[in-house]
Amino acid sequence: MNKQIISMSMIIVVFVSLCSQPSEASRRGADISEAMRESIVYLETSFYGYEQSEPWKHKDLTGNWACGCAVGKYEVITTAWSVANLAYLKALRYGQNEFVGAKIKVVDYESNLCLIELDSKAMSKPLKPLKFNEDYRKGAEVDFYWLSSDNRIYNGRGYIDRALVRKTNTSYERRLHYLAGNTSQRTGAGQVYCVDSKPIGIASQANNRDESSLVPAETINSFLAAAAKDDYEGFGSVGFSVSELLDPSMRSFLKMPANLKTGAYVDDVYNLGTGSDVLKKADVILSINGIALNSYGQFIHPKYELLDFQHLITSKTVGEKIVLELWRDGERIEVQCKVKNFQASEMLVPYHDYDQQPEYIITGGFILQKLTRGYLAEWGDDWQGKVSPQLYNYYRELSFKPTADRSDIVILSYVLPMNINLGYSNLGQMVVKKYNGMTIGSISDILAAQKLNPESKYDVIEFEMDQPVVVIPREQLPAADMFVRRNYGIQKLSNVNL
Amino acid sequence: MYFQKFVFVTAVMVLMFTCNLYASQNNEQQQFEKSVILIRSVHQDFDYVTPWKQKAMNQSIGSGFIIEGNRILTNAHNVSNIRYLELTKQNVAKRYPARVAFVGHDCDLATVTPEDTSFFDDTIALEIAGIPRVNSTVSTYGFPMGGNRISVTEGVVSRVETDTYVHSGADGHLVIQTDASINPGNSGGPVIQDGKVVGVAFQGLRMAENIGYMIPTTVIKHFLDDIEDGKYDAFGSLGVLMYPGLHSESYRDYLQVPAQEEGMIVISTMMHSSVETILQPNDVITRIDEYNIDNDGQVQIYGLRLDMSEVVETKHIGQTAEISFYRGGKLMRKTAKVALNRPILEQARQYDKPPRYVCFAGLTFVPLTRNYLETWGRDWQSKIPHYLRYLFINSIQLNTDRERKEYVVLAEILPDEVNSYAADFRSQPLESINGNRIWSLDDVDKAFKQTVESFYSIQFLGNNRMLPIDAEKARLRHPLILNKYNVPAESRLEEEL
Repeated sequence: MNKQIISMSMIIVVFVSLCSQPSEASRRGADISEAMRESIVYLETSFYGYEQSEPWKHKDLTGNWACGCAVGKYEVITTAWSVANLAYLKALRYGQNEFVGAKIKVVDYESNLCLIELDSKAMSKPLKPLKFNEDYRKGAEVDFYWLSSDNRIYNGRGYIDRALVRKTNTSYERRLHYLAGNTSQRTGAGQVYCVDSKPIGIASQANNRDESSLVPAETINSFLAAAAKDDYEGFGSVGFSVSELLDPSMRSFLKMPANLKTGAYVDDVYNLGTGSDVLKKADVILSINGIALNSYGQFIHPKYELLDFQHLITSKTVGEKIVLELWRDGERIEVQCKVKNFQASEMLVPYHDYDQQPEYIITGGFILQKLTRGYLAEWGDDWQGKVSPQLYNYYRELSFKPTADRSDIVILSYVLPMNINLGYSNLGQMVVKKYNGMTIGSISDILAAQKLNPESKYDVIEFEMDQPVVVIPREQLPAADMFVRRNYGIQKLSNVNL
Repeated sequence: MYFQKFVFVTAVMVLMFTCNLYASQNNEQQQFEKSVILIRSVHQDFDYVTPWKQKAMNQSIGSGFIIEGNRILTNAHNVSNIRYLELTKQNVAKRYPARVAFVGHDCDLATVTPEDTSFFDDTIALEIAGIPRVNSTVSTYGFPMGGNRISVTEGVVSRVETDTYVHSGADGHLVIQTDASINPGNSGGPVIQDGKVVGVAFQGLRMAENIGYMIPTTVIKHFLDDIEDGKYDAFGSLGVLMYPGLHSESYRDYLQVPAQEEGMIVISTMMHSSVETILQPNDVITRIDEYNIDNDGQVQIYGLRLDMSEVVETKHIGQTAEISFYRGGKLMRKTAKVALNRPILEQARQYDKPPRYVCFAGLTFVPLTRNYLETWGRDWQSKIPHYLRYLFINSIQLNTDRERKEYVVLAEILPDEVNSYAADFRSQPLESINGNRIWSLDDVDKAFKQTVESFYSIQFLGNNRMLPIDAEKARLRHPLILNKYNVPAESRLEEEL
């Protein structure tokens, strides 16, 4: 009798559980591969960029691919990473044999997004634009789609693990991302992620733990709205850094009342970006636009839960007003500022210089160039521990602090050995202090300095940190430059953006 | 046919000569063998992060040899951080406890003395000769790889040059390269030519086969002269950084140095060095004493072309050198004193000195030294935190404070409620405490001994954040922390032996 009851109970439990489980299709939304045929394209890309240590040279041409998602009849969006240092771009539409021409319309490396315009005349028919849905559901099942080079729509699966603010892989900037976990494929090339058949973001980066970062719908929609205007201004950049303020002694030292438990400590203020004009070191940011920050510099977002404060600035468009509530010098105050951003090229040591030839001047075989993160990264893995600590210190401590007097760090990177520089050929990684007596604050200063002291027989370069003086005989320079062209095959002896 | 005969005759002659030579060499070798000593030692290194502790003990075997004055010469690395030392002669079972008499870590040499002077019975002191010629044959005596029997290996002198002594990791002196095998245990053994010592075997080259190095007798004699007064002062320098820039005719012309002159360009002088007030950047040193300096900074000395530092190496601290140099086209001559001239952040490894420290409220401060940085293990130079690396490589340029004696770093935090939030500041160099600049470990001690009412505010170099320590709580917790973590004393400010 008991056995019968148990058996019946089990049958009922199994039946109920079968009934309560949604079907595969309803659980993750229908397979929309077919619909995606009209909305995603295959992008074939060729890159070269420049050799940072030999800035007159392109790198070897390499190829890659990315997924483009239609946001207009002839416009697709992909990640900026997919088009960085682009040499050539073409697109393939589903069902069309021929590649179509494509060009970049707007690229924003800080948002890691790029809007691409396709050659409408070459398209067999227009694309069907997709709308990105900003609804966010933590734990939701996701499907992702891309078109391959053999004109097939592929898809994969995963789930939304969380929303977080993390560094974009194209920039110094920390931006909102979704993190998709347990993904069935590594995705980082613009694949379109959907929840319930609605696009929610594009893949920007993958790791080897089956996780992918997505540029979320919110960022994409803001980018598209800004790109629709004639003059793309981009989004806010943070002009300061904060650290956690957990230590009760530190709070007491700052004369914060015992009942004031919130706020993050401003440990550095830059010369660029939002807040750089109103904040001071040792300020405590209590809230941004009325949204309270905790001691880690995080806030509760109504949709994404706990996020780092940067989102409160980087999600704003340039010119918007920001109100910062601060604890400063033992008092609670409020300051206002406008959202600002900046180009990487404005940094003292630019974080990136995509699509641009590095700035340099070769004179007498001495290669003078602008210090960039790209140059330092040439030292390979763990470059931070390999490069000259002086150069690394400029990057680490002063990247965001250009001044009116110093907008670049100019270095002597290498010497092309030749008669004119006999005895100097082992020099390198030295920071230029003066050129013909003129203090050097930018690479373009070198051009001005070369015209100084016209009566002098020499150009004289002085360096920081106890280094020898470089003395270049001016009358030998024309022949030396010719030698550089002939012997080293360098035709362009300078590249300076004036 | 004629050629074959000649070869034969030559072979017989060589054989006869070799037999006689072998007999005499055999006697000579037996004499040497009585003078070559096996040194067994027990070492215990210091812990530079928790400086009141010591590392595990380890035993090693090295070689040494008897020199005049009933002394035994060996390598400093055989007797550094020593806990126990004993000597053994070949074919004698007795072991002789011994002590270190003098040690020069910068030149990797030491003398040891057996407690029982009968040790020297039936031994002879080896004579010290000069620098052997390149391509001449030398014999290395010692106890490689821990054997009890003396090993003798022959090799050829292949090079004489200035190089870094691995024991200190920073000091450079003359070395002689030979292809005689020098293996662990050989260290400290004599290298013999024509019956006299021409070097002390001391280091090898890991990546190359059969390349060994010996300390030449110029360095040995300097060491032995130095200890004549009962203490070792070490090698000195002039404290000047130079660049071989006169290869550039333009640089020469710019500095107004006559065409026929050769020399080295002064880039900078070390703070507190004797030349600080004598030389300036862009001076060109052409001569030191009677030695002309060439454009590579080499002089002709001992019949060899060697680095000009070799002239300074012949002198002891406090002695002087005459320097001739051009400044603005004028030839000048000045007298410079040889001094220790060590950089603010010592580049050389330290031995035999218990690390100094101050431990307050669980925060343990030590001087920033190579020994501390080497606790990061292999590849420490690329693994250490950025600012420490910056200071280690550029301390001479970065330090503009004449009062500074050393850099001090927060090496360890003994966890306690008073320092719960200090972890981010570990391994960072100190800038100030309560606004008082920190020039030495003594300043740290003084700063924490000052009674302050609210906080000890600690600033670090290269860090915008400040570490506040609740002063009252720190005073209360301090003895409890010392007790809890078995710290024997809150500070050690002297380098006692």
